Amino acid sequence: MAWITKNWGMVGIIKGLIVTMKHILRVGNRPTVTVQYPYQKMKVSPRFRGLHAVDEDACIGCGICEVNCPNGTIQIVKHKTRWYPQVNIGMCLFCGLCVDVCPMNAMKMTGNYELADYTRESLVYGPDRLLFNKEVKQ
Amino acid sequence: MLFLAMWTGDIMFANAYELIVFILNFIGIYEPINNIFKTLGIEYVLRIIIVFVEIAVLFVFALLTIMFLTWMERKVVAMVQARYGPMVTGPRGLLQPVMDGVKLIGKEDIIPAKADRWVFTLAPFLVFIPALLIFIPLPFGESLIISDLNVGLLYIIAISAVSPIAILLAGWASNNKYSLMGAMRAVAQDISYTIPLALSAIAIVLFTGSLSTVDIVTAQNGTWFGFIPKWFIFLQPLGFILFLIASIAEMGRIPFDFQESEQELVAGFFTEYSGMKFAMFFLAEYAHLFSVSAIVVTLFLGGWSFPYISLLPAALVPLVSLGVFLVKTYAVIFFAMWLRDTVPRVRIDQLLNLGWKIMIPLALLNLLVTGFLLTVGVF
Repeated sequence: MAWITKNWGMVGIIKGLIVTMKHILRVGNRPTVTVQYPYQKMKVSPRFRGLHAVDEDACIGCGICEVNCPNGTIQIVKHKTRWYPQVNIGMCLFCGLCVDVCPMNAMKMTGNYELADYTRESLVYGPDRLLFNKEVKQ
Repeated sequence: MLFLAMWTGDIMFANAYELIVFILNFIGIYEPINNIFKTLGIEYVLRIIIVFVEIAVLFVFALLTIMFLTWMERKVVAMVQARYGPMVTGPRGLLQPVMDGVKLIGKEDIIPAKADRWVFTLAPFLVFIPALLIFIPLPFGESLIISDLNVGLLYIIAISAVSPIAILLAGWASNNKYSLMGAMRAVAQDISYTIPLALSAIAIVLFTGSLSTVDIVTAQNGTWFGFIPKWFIFLQPLGFILFLIASIAEMGRIPFDFQESEQELVAGFFTEYSGMKFAMFFLAEYAHLFSVSAIVVTLFLGGWSFPYISLLPAALVPLVSLGVFLVKTYAVIFFAMWLRDTVPRVRIDQLLNLGWKIMIPLALLNLLVTGFLLTVGVF
């Protein structure tokens, strides 16, 4: 009698067909959720961990970020008479430890995630590309 | 006078060749051209030219349809999955198949080192050409048929039975275990589902008494009680469901896509193919989709016929019937795509159980009941 218990009405398939048809006809709250990436971009969260940024006035060049970086990404280099971090983004794992340990809250992470590049050299972000100046911006 | 006769008269041609000759006569250029060839003593050349023209029109139509079916498939999947699908090339991504074709032509044509080179090259053609040959006895509209074979249905089933052999050749020649397993699964599936397919088609032939596709469509012309179209789906609901499931299994589409089950067999029998040869398998798949949907429409959904189509002026009937046929066919194709996006794949043992233990007994039962009722004289 096993055949009696078989799903002869194919109820599950018909229910599934109704669900997919609702998606096709956009019945109810079923919007298109993807965006057309290169032309349209999604809004990133303020907590997003992207490319670093260093406050030019707050940074004291102490090197705590360099010590704490698990991959050895950060190096302190000289830039215009003062010392600032330089980030090799190709080794960075975007853990955010450098941001957490910074005693002056000078290190930040921006929402910039389009970091692909053609050479390894251009992945090294020196202070000239990382620094931002709070006063100038405001 | 001729125009009036065409507008009001009852003109119906056996095939597209006669329609073309009629139109050429109507414009008035058939006789002069024929006379030129006659004076040269080669009047058969004109016949050959007309046949080649109609075959060229059919194949161009088929290839364009197949190309844009890939676009339609991607769009339907995208709509179900709350995505956009192709949007960049052309309006709403309509030129995407053209770009895909250009990409595939530009790719390197790799033949594996230990493959059987001749069979490996032959197999894509053996898959692709039968898929196009199925179009020949399909009635696209009134008098729009390449050749009205009196064994049309048998021809269709026979030609579509060539493709498992070609698939097995492709899987064997690739010298790859995934290809061979995909090919063997495809053959097992095709063989077990051709039987219920043919059996439910035979039930239709019992009604019409003819294997010709034109006769099958003509038998479905007209209505019951003035509003229910005389389609065989209403006489053969079980046969329709069996035929639909069997034909989806024959196409190898998602609920039954054992030939190329991606999670298990990489890409099945065309794992090793690239470039134009891969494109041929891909196009053959969509040609199969179109032709099988067209056969479902012809057998069960009334083909090009529509209630009260005979009230139209005779000159319009071929065009309107072509439109009706295409609308019905695209509805069936849409159903296949919709089903593909809804259900997951069954297991191989479930597939064969369904084919041999359920569909074949049901098809035989359907045939028995139909034959009994016809003999008793209910229909």
